[in-house]
Amino acid sequence: MEFYLGLIQIFGVHTIIGLSAYVILLTGQVTMAQAGLVSVGAYASAMLTAMYGWHIVPSVLVGGAAGMVMAVLVGFPALRVKGLIFVIATLAFGEFIRLFWFNFIFQVERGGELVGPNSSDGFRMIRYFPENGWSTWGVAAFIWFWAIIIMAAIWWMDRSRAGSVLRAVGEDEVAAQSVGINLTAVKVSAFAASGLIAGVAGSLYAHYTTHIEQENFTVLLATFAIAYPLLGGLRNIWGTLIAVIFIQGILTEVLRFMGDWRNLLYGILIVLAMNFRPHGLIDANLTDRLKRMFGLRKSSNDART
Amino acid sequence: MDFELYEIIQAFGDGLMKGSTYALMGIGFTLIFGVMQKINMSFAAVSISGAYASLAASILFPEVHVFVVFGASIIFSGMIGYFVYLCCFKWIPLANPLATLMATIGMLFFLEEVVVHATNGMPLPYPAMPFDEYFEFGQYSVRGDLVLIFFMCLIATAVLMYLLYRTRLGIATRAVAQQPIAARLSGISIEKTNAGTFIITGLLGGLAGAMIASTVSVLSVLFFLPVTVKGLIVAVIGGLGSIPGAIVAGLLVGGIEEVALLLRGILERDIYIMVLLFLFLTLRPGGIFSKTFQRN
Repeated sequence: MEFYLGLIQIFGVHTIIGLSAYVILLTGQVTMAQAGLVSVGAYASAMLTAMYGWHIVPSVLVGGAAGMVMAVLVGFPALRVKGLIFVIATLAFGEFIRLFWFNFIFQVERGGELVGPNSSDGFRMIRYFPENGWSTWGVAAFIWFWAIIIMAAIWWMDRSRAGSVLRAVGEDEVAAQSVGINLTAVKVSAFAASGLIAGVAGSLYAHYTTHIEQENFTVLLATFAIAYPLLGGLRNIWGTLIAVIFIQGILTEVLRFMGDWRNLLYGILIVLAMNFRPHGLIDANLTDRLKRMFGLRKSSNDART
Repeated sequence: MDFELYEIIQAFGDGLMKGSTYALMGIGFTLIFGVMQKINMSFAAVSISGAYASLAASILFPEVHVFVVFGASIIFSGMIGYFVYLCCFKWIPLANPLATLMATIGMLFFLEEVVVHATNGMPLPYPAMPFDEYFEFGQYSVRGDLVLIFFMCLIATAVLMYLLYRTRLGIATRAVAQQPIAARLSGISIEKTNAGTFIITGLLGGLAGAMIASTVSVLSVLFFLPVTVKGLIVAVIGGLGSIPGAIVAGLLVGGIEEVALLLRGILERDIYIMVLLFLFLTLRPGGIFSKTFQRN
């Protein structure tokens, strides 16, 4: 049971990470900064609970805010360039943050022990949950509480004007600009929202693993972050959730008997998925067909991209 | 921590020589971008894999000359480059930029994992340049093998320039880069040109991979991501699509990296390269040789 609850915790955190990339991908930008933003939230909130004894809820919020501030700081220089240069800029930014944690030492004494980030040793003993007697159940429920809030917020945003604006920028920047959309404002706010979500994900991640170090936040995590929404499809949030369950559940856990060979599969899977379903698992055709199957839409002529 | 000026100049000079391999990396990324408007994220992985394949060949045939090993690296890397083209570009609709980008990232991890599997993740010795003399100029000294590497990279660049500007293949490549539709209408096969670009950049990357490994005499799976990141940074600082820009940026990054290593140590070294990139992005987003700044 503990094992499955652990798995549910992983699903929750990775869904939030995937959704943080989803918001930016809607605007047509590919970001490799998610690992960096997640690590900012993770370190910020873990420092608050482990070093200063804060409660978990405000620390998660501060972790999210820290991710958002960082995203805005990076967003302004990085979003002046677009497309592929943005990918590289965010990739470099993610590595920059990781190297910063690699060099960062800041410890305080608490209960006779030194606690805090310690360069390449990482940040040990983030024991908020065990110290306060949370059960694994409680932790899993807490993680999914945040995951559901964020999923609901994005689901609602997709149906509001904001979602249409994001998709308009993603489909065609020139057309979006010509109807009076301020591209920089849209992109920076999407990046800020993404930073907020990534920061929350990082805070939760730091607390359920109890130990974070710079190696958790490499390009691999950044790749997973954009792989979930891209493999699942950008039509709606369910694609991201399904991709998370598929990669973290089936590939990582069910195929555990394959040992190291499993790692080869991630790369092959991404290459194959992009060859056979370049628009993701749940693309426009599939949503259309599902909606008709359940009688939600009469004809298939409208809204196909 | 006091450093004499001549030490810093010495470090910068050494870095400049090593930077020639980064320049080749940057050229590879930039060339594919110039021709296809796509980034091949797995390019550096192809180069390092080529070097690994040549290392495997040199273990099978231990008595061959070092330069044969380097040559093997070039050829293997060209083959892997074509393989990447088949997997990530040939059948994916090119109008969908996200799909090809994601596929090449997948390829990067796939190649890395294959090598991790084959070597158990252990670093392996790679043949160094058979030339370990020092040239002394007063206070300064120059490592002979670095000079050799520098010249090999120069020759590779010269050959590439010749290919691009003096042969039919080069004319076709540049035509596709400038205006794909017009190129197709004048009877140039876009698919063949793209595949050719991948093979050429693969060959170039094979040389760069072998040179990177032979400057430190070791080949490790830890090279994959840092070399990718540095090659991409070089391509951006040079202005994506500009070959002269990539050359200058590669040398500059190499030099600054070595100075940062001297002044601040190995842990902080790469941070300053990222700072350099962000300076360029804010002040000169079009790259070193951009004339005007075009917004959007």
